Amino acid sequence: MTPSASRLSLVGVSKSFPGIRALDNVSFDVRPGEVHGLLGENGAGKSTMLNILSAVLQATEGQIIIDGQPVTLTRPADARAAGIAMIHQELQHIPQLSVAQNLFLGRPLTRAGGLLVDRRAQERRARQILADLDPRINPRAPIHTLKVAQQQIVEIARALLDDAKIIAMDEPTSSLTPSEFESLAALIAKLAAQGKSIIYVSHKMDEVFRVCDRATILRDGRFIDTVDLEQITEDQVIAKMVGRDITHERHVTHARPEVVMQVENLSDGALIREAGFTLHKGEVLGLAGLVGSGRTELLRLIAGIDRARTGSVTLNGKPVDLRTPRSAIRAGIGLVPEERKKDGIVRERPVSSNIALPCMGRFTRFGLVRRRALHAESTALMKKMGMRPPDVSRAIGTFSGGNQQKAIIGRWLAADVDILLFDEPTRGIDVGAKSEIYDLIAQLAQSGKSIIVVSSELPEIIRLSDRVMVMREGRIAAILDADQISEDAIVANAIPKSKGPVPAPQPVEARS
Amino acid sequence: MTDTSLPTRSGPRINLRDAGTFFGLVLIFAVFAVLNPVFLTAPNLINILQQSSINACIALGMTFVIISGGIDLSVGPTAAVSAIVGATLMIAGVPIPLAVMGAIATGMACGLFNGSLVALAGLQPFIVTLGGLSLYRALALIFTGGNPIFGIPPEFRAAINGLVFGVPVPVIIVAIIAGILWVVLNRSPLGEYILAVGGNPEAARIAGVPVARTKITVYVLSGGLAAVAALILTGRLGAADPTMGNLWELDAIAAAAIGGASLMGGKGSVIGTLMGAVILGGLRNGLTLMNVQAFYQLLATGIIILVAMLIDRATRGRA
Repeated sequence: MTPSASRLSLVGVSKSFPGIRALDNVSFDVRPGEVHGLLGENGAGKSTMLNILSAVLQATEGQIIIDGQPVTLTRPADARAAGIAMIHQELQHIPQLSVAQNLFLGRPLTRAGGLLVDRRAQERRARQILADLDPRINPRAPIHTLKVAQQQIVEIARALLDDAKIIAMDEPTSSLTPSEFESLAALIAKLAAQGKSIIYVSHKMDEVFRVCDRATILRDGRFIDTVDLEQITEDQVIAKMVGRDITHERHVTHARPEVVMQVENLSDGALIREAGFTLHKGEVLGLAGLVGSGRTELLRLIAGIDRARTGSVTLNGKPVDLRTPRSAIRAGIGLVPEERKKDGIVRERPVSSNIALPCMGRFTRFGLVRRRALHAESTALMKKMGMRPPDVSRAIGTFSGGNQQKAIIGRWLAADVDILLFDEPTRGIDVGAKSEIYDLIAQLAQSGKSIIVVSSELPEIIRLSDRVMVMREGRIAAILDADQISEDAIVANAIPKSKGPVPAPQPVEARS
Repeated sequence: MTDTSLPTRSGPRINLRDAGTFFGLVLIFAVFAVLNPVFLTAPNLINILQQSSINACIALGMTFVIISGGIDLSVGPTAAVSAIVGATLMIAGVPIPLAVMGAIATGMACGLFNGSLVALAGLQPFIVTLGGLSLYRALALIFTGGNPIFGIPPEFRAAINGLVFGVPVPVIIVAIIAGILWVVLNRSPLGEYILAVGGNPEAARIAGVPVARTKITVYVLSGGLAAVAALILTGRLGAADPTMGNLWELDAIAAAAIGGASLMGGKGSVIGTLMGAVILGGLRNGLTLMNVQAFYQLLATGIIILVAMLIDRATRGRA
């Protein structure tokens, strides 16, 4: 092997769809043993690039060269044969099957002349491969019993089983806890040391700087630059991604003294215990905590999605009926869920219909939907929120994550709720749209809405919140006032205290 | 990335999928018109509509259930029970309009039972309505001892078998129902709810859609329409047969599917389903005119359904 030569070279790769140039003359190379970031906003062409590398899509023009040899990738099997493996954001395995069965899915080790699956040989081989990655993973365990991080390691094991030279990871950390990220980072470093080339796609700048050696930046399908991450700052990279400077505005509070919502003694009989707090008019209350500390669960109780066992929520002095989301919405509470596709949108339906769902009554006269009024109002709403293009009669599924998020927020504006609950509002949303969402949240607070924001990103929480509530193991551990908010204070309250002596402050949440 | 399986243009007034169904309809009718000179005459076309009206009526209810993400296998027996109740009331001397309402209420009660088990008890629609299929059939057979009820009042028969401006009454009834249902699906909050519940039930719930109420409503609608179909058939036959409606559910599902309803929920069209019913009716009529045996008619029906689905798949892009 010649270490200086490139492992993978893309030369003038383009991909056109009818009416769209998704990739336009992109060239970059990846070296052996290198971790190479692939950066860009949603729609910049990262997914298209990955799809071309895994032969899900075929490039319209250009050449792909692996170890000096031009390769043609027309079917996924070609990519595998060329030594390219893909770790998808949404892990692709069959939950009920064992780790070993998943590893050998589609190409089992057989005996009796190919008639029977040789389970023992599969489990032996699986154990060998996993020993190097995470020996705690039992090859016989059904894969759904594993943690997401371990499931991901199984995917990596599958890539190694294929003897992949190039492993592409698409947003690998989107559902990992910070400590799991640390293990993944270590594993990636190890793979790189063995000479594997890693292509790492992520929205999280701190991770990219932590894990990657170099990074290629795409914008609007065009190659912008390949940068050495040792010699560039985060802000410079972001500026290249979005094509302009992102300003970090200081948070200005719009909180007013009057209490809008009072939550008392809320429990779900499982995780959430005796949650109580108040929310003021125009306030943004951050909700921090480790993954699994009950943040999402608490929001779902307040939004009437899950049933509370005890406790009450009072809004403007009136008790809220929390039995269904519908009744909570009537009272004035709306949730912007974390998993947009699953819990947020009806993808085949137009944006306008998605907006109108909670308040059809407002758009109905004599039993019929006033289409024109609905169209006009949702168009105005989406224009104001900067949806691009503001065509509300298009199916919402055709829009980017950021635009979908704006539509869900628009839904609650149309329904005129007083309280907006945001669960990870910028997950899966690119950097540019992210700051738009931040601005929106600030505007909502200014207009008198009261807001709770759950986020795993501490900088996000700190930037947005007037106060920060920290959850720990289903309880509210602390409520920090503006002058008490700091990453250290949040982290100190988020870590469970029962586990022996207090551990030294460790990075539990992503920092930037 | 944008999703290529969804329409990106702001909706043209005419649904593309409906245009495709219409093209299939024209094609099949053109073939029969060439093969048999009688096929495309006005009396025969009216005949086709008349023959398709019962299936169309059932299929419209089925379409709503399918769009909501469910299925109603119990429509045939629901029709039988409703017919029995209607006929019994008429013979007992209850005024015809009241007897008709009694029959429709019976159908809706069957639907309410199905819908409640689906929406409130959380059982799977396929299983619930499979149970309903046996249950309602059993009720009809037990109540009648397995014998048809004769002696339907001639006024009722005359009303069903009459013509208005040369168009058979059943066709007019179904056309009016279809018109109302088109408005419900495309212009009413209930239509939005049905499409949302079928497209993504959890997202719909979180957005405040009354999911249970919506689901129950579509089953009640389906049951009511089964009763209407039963009344039409009772009027035409002059008897209410407890074995009425055998395998109606399959024709209805076929018409809905040909018309573009997705069994995954969230998609379907009133106009498409009507055309689907007319395609099936026209096919049978044409083959009968050409003296093709019933066995081969069944074969042709099966082929048409599968071809329609393959074309549907191919034209939707994403495999």
